[in-house]
Amino acid sequence: MSIKEKGYTHWDGELESRRFPWSPIMRSGIRLTFKKKFFKLFFFLNLIPAVVYLAGIYISERLEDFEFMIREASMPFKVNPAYFNSFLSGDYLLFMIVMILVFAGAGLIADDLKHNSLQLYFSRPLKKRDYFMGKTSIVFFFLLIVTLVPGLVLFLMKLIFAGNFKFIQDYPWLPLSIIGYSVLLTAFFACYALFLSALSRNSRYVAVMTFGMYLFSDILYAIFNGIFRKPAFALMSIKANLQQIGAAFFGVKLPYDVPWMYSFVLLVLFCGVAVIFLSRRVRGVEVVR
Amino acid sequence: MSIEVNNIKFSYGRIQALDGVDLSLPGGAVGLLGPNGAGKSTLIRILLGFLVPDEGDGDIFGFDIRTRQTDIRRLIGYMPEDDCLIPGMDAVSFTSYLGELSGMPRQEAMKRAHEVLYYVGLEESRYRLLQTYSSGMKQRLKLAQALVHDPQLLFLDEPTSGLDPQGRKEILELILDISSKKNIQILISSHILSDIELTCSYVVILDKGRIASRGEIDALRRMDYSLYELRIKGGKETFLQDLNGFGYQIEEMEDGLIRIYVPSDRTPRDILETAVGRDVQIRHFVRSRSSLEDLFAKVVGAD
Repeated sequence: MSIKEKGYTHWDGELESRRFPWSPIMRSGIRLTFKKKFFKLFFFLNLIPAVVYLAGIYISERLEDFEFMIREASMPFKVNPAYFNSFLSGDYLLFMIVMILVFAGAGLIADDLKHNSLQLYFSRPLKKRDYFMGKTSIVFFFLLIVTLVPGLVLFLMKLIFAGNFKFIQDYPWLPLSIIGYSVLLTAFFACYALFLSALSRNSRYVAVMTFGMYLFSDILYAIFNGIFRKPAFALMSIKANLQQIGAAFFGVKLPYDVPWMYSFVLLVLFCGVAVIFLSRRVRGVEVVR
Repeated sequence: MSIEVNNIKFSYGRIQALDGVDLSLPGGAVGLLGPNGAGKSTLIRILLGFLVPDEGDGDIFGFDIRTRQTDIRRLIGYMPEDDCLIPGMDAVSFTSYLGELSGMPRQEAMKRAHEVLYYVGLEESRYRLLQTYSSGMKQRLKLAQALVHDPQLLFLDEPTSGLDPQGRKEILELILDISSKKNIQILISSHILSDIELTCSYVVILDKGRIASRGEIDALRRMDYSLYELRIKGGKETFLQDLNGFGYQIEEMEDGLIRIYVPSDRTPRDILETAVGRDVQIRHFVRSRSSLEDLFAKVVGAD
């Protein structure tokens, strides 16, 4: 049968004006990321800290059950804001977040640049901001699942295991700190991932850059700090800056002897540069003037 | 009129890509012709809202091309020239995804994706990953994604590039079917003149960023000049020099055939009189039906 004989029928539905026109981008991005090899494994490895910290909360509340383990020693940890801070800005979790970005973030824009698909997006009733919202929401989805969700679950479990509201009376602002820091962490990493993803058409290079830049900034800090012994070099490290802000959010002692505001301004500046770069780089068509 | 633009100007740095383009396009299939760098793609990109014109204004279906791009894009489908896909997807998810982005409900988009993939002849391979598609299949897929939300106007940029003769024939059949029977207007940009000639009734010829000619193809064929083919014996050079001097445009073919474009203020009799004057024998003299290629060569001055 020739094509012509198959016939073309008009669609009798009506196009919707969605409140969130970017939602299909998010849905499809999440589905495609889960299809990637080993991603599920890495993603669930991210939940290990949450399980460990949950066990810690349980032990702290059921101390009498674990006396045989602790014996004479005092309780090795205390569940307080510092405990939540160490969960959310711990080295392991930050490292694993970067690993998620390697899988879920590297190809977000790089693949669209490589396969010329930006023109397909922008020939639809989508604005540039919808495109970015869609791509950003993919990073938000994965990162909030490993930061905000376990953070709030840990808080709730602490209340449940304690069987009273003393903890929330002592730290009524803690849920807000968990939400605020998780969102800030996620927003920064979303800008970081999208910025790097727009730098190259090759998602493998982007994956290497995502991992390399995070590691390299920390190594650089270690080298300069080793030579000059000045804590201000912590500002060179992505991890150190995030940990500074985390400590400020949870009201605990800053890990580096630098005002946390400096770290905050640095990260906000980085995000600002990333947004400007992205809005110039991402177009329906490349224009060389 | 579905598309109207006035005095559109656009430059890439110092290069003036469009220099005061005025257009008012009728319905049906319209061909956009021009040599490389004429400004065809730039014009389509401006109509799609990818580029903002330096000067000028215009509208599509009454929506301003500068301010109502989102409304315009609901009504149009775009088949780009470049290969474009989303890796990791199969044809069904790709097409339905783009349908959803156009504003179709999810279930409807999925159903419609199957229909259009069937229509363009990709029903057998609709669950294959797009990375494994051949050039011809990618071309069909691009047409399917442009059709999925049932647009009123289709922009087709080089729709037959990279296709084998059979694939080309089938895509042209589809375009003819869509434009003639389905009440969808089409703007085709192509450098393959025969494709335009086969599918379009109206043509716009761009050259160096300006409109060199436009109108119904049949009317353009009749306008301004008539084309004659002749074979001669003896005194060819002086004969052709004389005709050139009178304003005739001449093309010499490899097989000795001479094609002469006779301006409207001249008659074929002048050719015969010149031949007599130069003692040249005319062995063959017929009026030729001018093709779009002739028109294009005449207007743009290309070989």
